[in-house]
Amino acid sequence: MKIRTKLPIVFTAPTMAALAVLAFVPTIDAINIALQNRDLSNPDSLYVGFANFRALIDDPRFLNSVSVSVAWEILTVAATMLVAVPLAILLFETTPPAVRNGLCVLFIVPALLPRVSAAFVWRFAFHPLFGLAVYPLRLITGQPIDLLANPHTAMFTVAIVDVWQWGLLFAVIVVKLLETLPRQPFEAAKLDHARTWEIYAYIAIPMLQAPLISLVFVKMVESLRAFDLIYVMTRGGPGIATETLDMYAFSQGFIESGRISYASSMAVLMMAATTIAFTVLWRWARRWRET
Amino acid sequence: MRLATSLAALSGALILSAGLAGSARAEAVCSHDLRVLAQPRDGLTLLEKYKDEFKKLAGASFDIDYLNENDRRAKSRADASTVGKYNVYYIDEANVALFASSKWVAPLLDYYPKEYDYADFDPGRQKVATYEGKVYFAPLTGGGDLLVYRKDLLDKAGMKPPTTLDEFIADVKKLHDPDHGVYGIALRGQRGSGANVWRWMPYFRGFGGQWFDGNTPAFDSDAAVKATQVYLDLFKYSPPGTKTGSWDESTGAFLSGEVAMLIESTPLAGEAIDPKVSKVVGKVGYAPPPSPLTGGGYAHGLAIGAKANKDEASKKCAGLFIAWATSKENEKRRLDADQFGELNRSSVMTSDEFNQKFGADLGKALAETAKVTAVNFWQDPEWPNLGDHWGIELEELIAGTRTDIKGSLDELRDYAKQLVANRKS
Repeated sequence: MKIRTKLPIVFTAPTMAALAVLAFVPTIDAINIALQNRDLSNPDSLYVGFANFRALIDDPRFLNSVSVSVAWEILTVAATMLVAVPLAILLFETTPPAVRNGLCVLFIVPALLPRVSAAFVWRFAFHPLFGLAVYPLRLITGQPIDLLANPHTAMFTVAIVDVWQWGLLFAVIVVKLLETLPRQPFEAAKLDHARTWEIYAYIAIPMLQAPLISLVFVKMVESLRAFDLIYVMTRGGPGIATETLDMYAFSQGFIESGRISYASSMAVLMMAATTIAFTVLWRWARRWRET
Repeated sequence: MRLATSLAALSGALILSAGLAGSARAEAVCSHDLRVLAQPRDGLTLLEKYKDEFKKLAGASFDIDYLNENDRRAKSRADASTVGKYNVYYIDEANVALFASSKWVAPLLDYYPKEYDYADFDPGRQKVATYEGKVYFAPLTGGGDLLVYRKDLLDKAGMKPPTTLDEFIADVKKLHDPDHGVYGIALRGQRGSGANVWRWMPYFRGFGGQWFDGNTPAFDSDAAVKATQVYLDLFKYSPPGTKTGSWDESTGAFLSGEVAMLIESTPLAGEAIDPKVSKVVGKVGYAPPPSPLTGGGYAHGLAIGAKANKDEASKKCAGLFIAWATSKENEKRRLDADQFGELNRSSVMTSDEFNQKFGADLGKALAETAKVTAVNFWQDPEWPNLGDHWGIELEELIAGTRTDIKGSLDELRDYAKQLVANRKS
């Protein structure tokens, strides 16, 4: 289409300029700081090139935080989708519309809670002595179980809260998507004696491919920002078992040492890594859908 | 007779307050409201009820933003090093060296009116508030450690409160009975220079450990290995939830009646007798920490922000606020409200009213524990950095993701060497 007037440019330019300032100024500043040796307690700093990035490679805590971040990302995205899709199908298949709508409202409530409050509520629910969530386990085993203090279970326990908030919300979205699908292919499949699972596996889910992939990407971005949840529930502990990259950067910058340049170099690296990963995944998803 | 004295006291107070109000009208010290960054304290909540009084005195009011301890430390550091919008910071033993050496806070006594009598504060807390010979904050809380125990449980077992560490460990094991809901001890496992490391240090220093010898790290010693070993062994008798918990979790377990004894900071004594938070009122005894443990001397207080108070006048205003907030009158109000942990002035803590309220036992235990109270941490701007680093290793040791104590200490030594080297360059 040929643009006949310059008006669209005139109208969007100020907004685009504001957005560009908002996006690029902090980014460039972060890169600038990452190349220095700035420390909060010292006003003077020097440019040190890539020294911070080189130091990161030899930092075992950094490497640990990268693997924790990747594990957290995979675990929460997979678990959210694995909860959301079957739950949505179950709702769609078994409940009449009125009940379904009521349940949908209930399922949205966890996502409406501010995450910090949800994290506090759940941290108490997992308290080994008073927690409601671990009470059944305590009854069965007779032993108090401290899930958040065990390095093997801490991340799964925090992930439960994440899935509780997002898996249920996504289930509602998937239900609403299912309701929009045309009935004819389903009826045709039923006439061909297709079983229920076959109808969903071969018809409904392929039809919903595009929105489901979008949901996966939304959740991936969302999972990257789980700082508040993890911070309240474990503070990255026990030890460094749940210390993600953003949490390590924060603690280097503001809690432990004030090494703001070192923290910035982590942030820059994280930004680069996520940009590349998302681009590759996006391309891959698009190609996969086209074949 | 009593009526006469109280009348005299009342008229004295009236004259005093009239005088103060008069001087305020003559020259308003403050031209704008003060912004204060603090952590939640009952004493400060109480103080906020008397905002009008401060307004009369200084000509402006104040607003306090509260963040819990770790977040308050992070936020105040970020604020002081960048924009500096708070006139008054709440600082503590862990970061007074950092704030003072970075000149984020101004020396307090230059702006603290004489009539508020700074010398009246507990001498141990004055020591903590001092960095390189200058005082930087006026205490809001502080103290050392007490061995707090359940009298009823010890009586039932026919035991006396332990006076040495060996006795203490043996008693913890004897009293430990989780099947009946009683754990021998409660410790702190959560990472942090003021959390797990804080409770570990009395063992380290008690066994003769030193942080530094000049500029050379000296802590990877037998004392530290032994201290860590003892601390980890004792964790077997600490209630679940404390492995990743700190003050709240371990004192919470004690106050709900699940713990036989523990060594904790002195404010626990006040909470133990407060029926609002304690289920063990009347069953609690106090003693100094068993030898050779040292008490962890500490203090928190208010300091004058250097950036937000650019000129002398605003520094004076912040100084007046701090003086008023920590004045004898306000401390007396905290005493009247049973806020044991909020008392800092010798004149208040040795008063008859104090003894009547909290009992002579506690007074005696406090006096005895003052003798073994020491500065356990490394008094240096880099302390939070080193302490937090050790806190993470210690938490890993407690959680079991790390097992090599000596190796961990060696790692910490290398880290400390780096810290010192960075500072010299």
